[in-house]
Amino acid sequence: MNTNNTPETLQVQGEEAGFNPSRRRFFQLAGGVAGLGMLAASCRRTPASDTWLGKGDVALLNYLYILKQVTVAFYTQAVATPYYDITASEVELQLDIRDQEVAHREFLKTLLGKDAVKTITMELSAVTFADKSSFLSHAATLEDLSASAYAGVMKLLSDQSYIVSFSKMASVDARHAGYVRDILNHNSFSSGMNVLDSKGLNWMTSPSVGMATLSNYIETRFDISNLPTF
Amino acid sequence: MNFRHILNEIENQDPEAYHNLSDRRSMLGSFGSKVALAALPFAVASMFRKAAAQTTDVVVDVLNLALEIEFMQYTYYRQGNNTGSLISSNDLPGFKAIENQKKMHVSFLETLIKELGGVSFKPNYYTSPTTVHPYVPAAYDFTMGGTYTPFADYATFLKLAQILEDTGIHAIQGQITTLQTNNAVLTQMVSLLAVKGRHASFVRLMRRLAVNAPETPTPWIQNNIPPSIPLQKYYVGEDNTEQMGLNIAALGNTYYNSGLMPQTAATAAFDEGYTKDAIMTLIAPFKKI
Repeated sequence: MNTNNTPETLQVQGEEAGFNPSRRRFFQLAGGVAGLGMLAASCRRTPASDTWLGKGDVALLNYLYILKQVTVAFYTQAVATPYYDITASEVELQLDIRDQEVAHREFLKTLLGKDAVKTITMELSAVTFADKSSFLSHAATLEDLSASAYAGVMKLLSDQSYIVSFSKMASVDARHAGYVRDILNHNSFSSGMNVLDSKGLNWMTSPSVGMATLSNYIETRFDISNLPTF
Repeated sequence: MNFRHILNEIENQDPEAYHNLSDRRSMLGSFGSKVALAALPFAVASMFRKAAAQTTDVVVDVLNLALEIEFMQYTYYRQGNNTGSLISSNDLPGFKAIENQKKMHVSFLETLIKELGGVSFKPNYYTSPTTVHPYVPAAYDFTMGGTYTPFADYATFLKLAQILEDTGIHAIQGQITTLQTNNAVLTQMVSLLAVKGRHASFVRLMRRLAVNAPETPTPWIQNNIPPSIPLQKYYVGEDNTEQMGLNIAALGNTYYNSGLMPQTAATAAFDEGYTKDAIMTLIAPFKKI
């Protein structure tokens, strides 16, 4: 059983690492730890050859880092083989998105340091890059995931110092999502399946669901047994 | 867990937490000797409630700031959407969707504030007969003191919509750390922020494609580029390239000969946050006093 995120473990880790447990975690601990127990992480033994994401915050950051590696590879291919009938504006804006995704990827890689997962192998054959509709619907999938991933990560993060920068990236990825959805289907920047919830808030995706979506674009298999999720 | 450490932690995170309590030394002293052991849990619980109440107050303040902006935006779009042929029929469904989602956000925030025991913000002149909640036209001067005519031409409508959208993002972004104390609120507000990102993206794209705005806007904010010079103050600091002590512009980007990230990408990849005071100053020209 994965006990990585039990309160006892968190407390010990905190003291060992010599950092101040955040107040949120403090209240969770003081409040009888309801709400921390909803780990759906699999107990399955994963073959040793699978790439391990790490555990706790490292696993969460690696999840975002993998997401960004996929989006960079995706837009790199799009720039190399643009869809038929692409406009000058669209050429320019997809270059912009690629570069911003590179910025996010390099930022996360730097935060992870030696804990960053090694280079992964992409599998983008599901996408017909020459076809506008195929490209944009996959772009919408990946951008919707980006826009919805950070809130899911923040639900589980231990180190609150990441929150400001992750939230700054969340609204930018939502800008990307709005853009690709609008050029896919005008005025649909905030509509589609699992885009908004019934309160008008953006969808929130759990890390394990996010990794499942990403697996459609990656050949490398991952061991996510210690990835916090809900 | 060490009890003294708990007190330290509350004090570090929120110095205000002790305001309503006797000073810390006497409090600890009383636990040591005077308070019956059986009463200790109650005393501790009461301290926590007070600390939690202080925390809830600042969270509600942030939610009310977000709510104030949603009222303003909802009223703006509703007015625009109902102004004759201001918005082309091609783009109108998008603006109707934004209007509808702003209304949902007002409702979401009001419900959340109530759940937290707070009092929801109401715009000035809320009791005006023209109010149809959350539409409060009596509260706002969208001409910014007679300078702009947003309901007379589409380009101006979009220009001020962009200011309102990006300012709404700057507002929540700037207060996000205050929400850390309540994880459920934090994650929902990040999700609300993402919807604002989608709205801002659409408005900026319409400026780019539908009205050929002079600065050729992108759906994201590059550097601190304003729609026009007098509106520069709405983008102060958006050219920041430093995140968590890292210079994003110095990170690698092998797609360029320099091997470096273009400044436009380094700045556009992160939306910035503004203080509440800065936001109040920026939205003041839209409000009737």
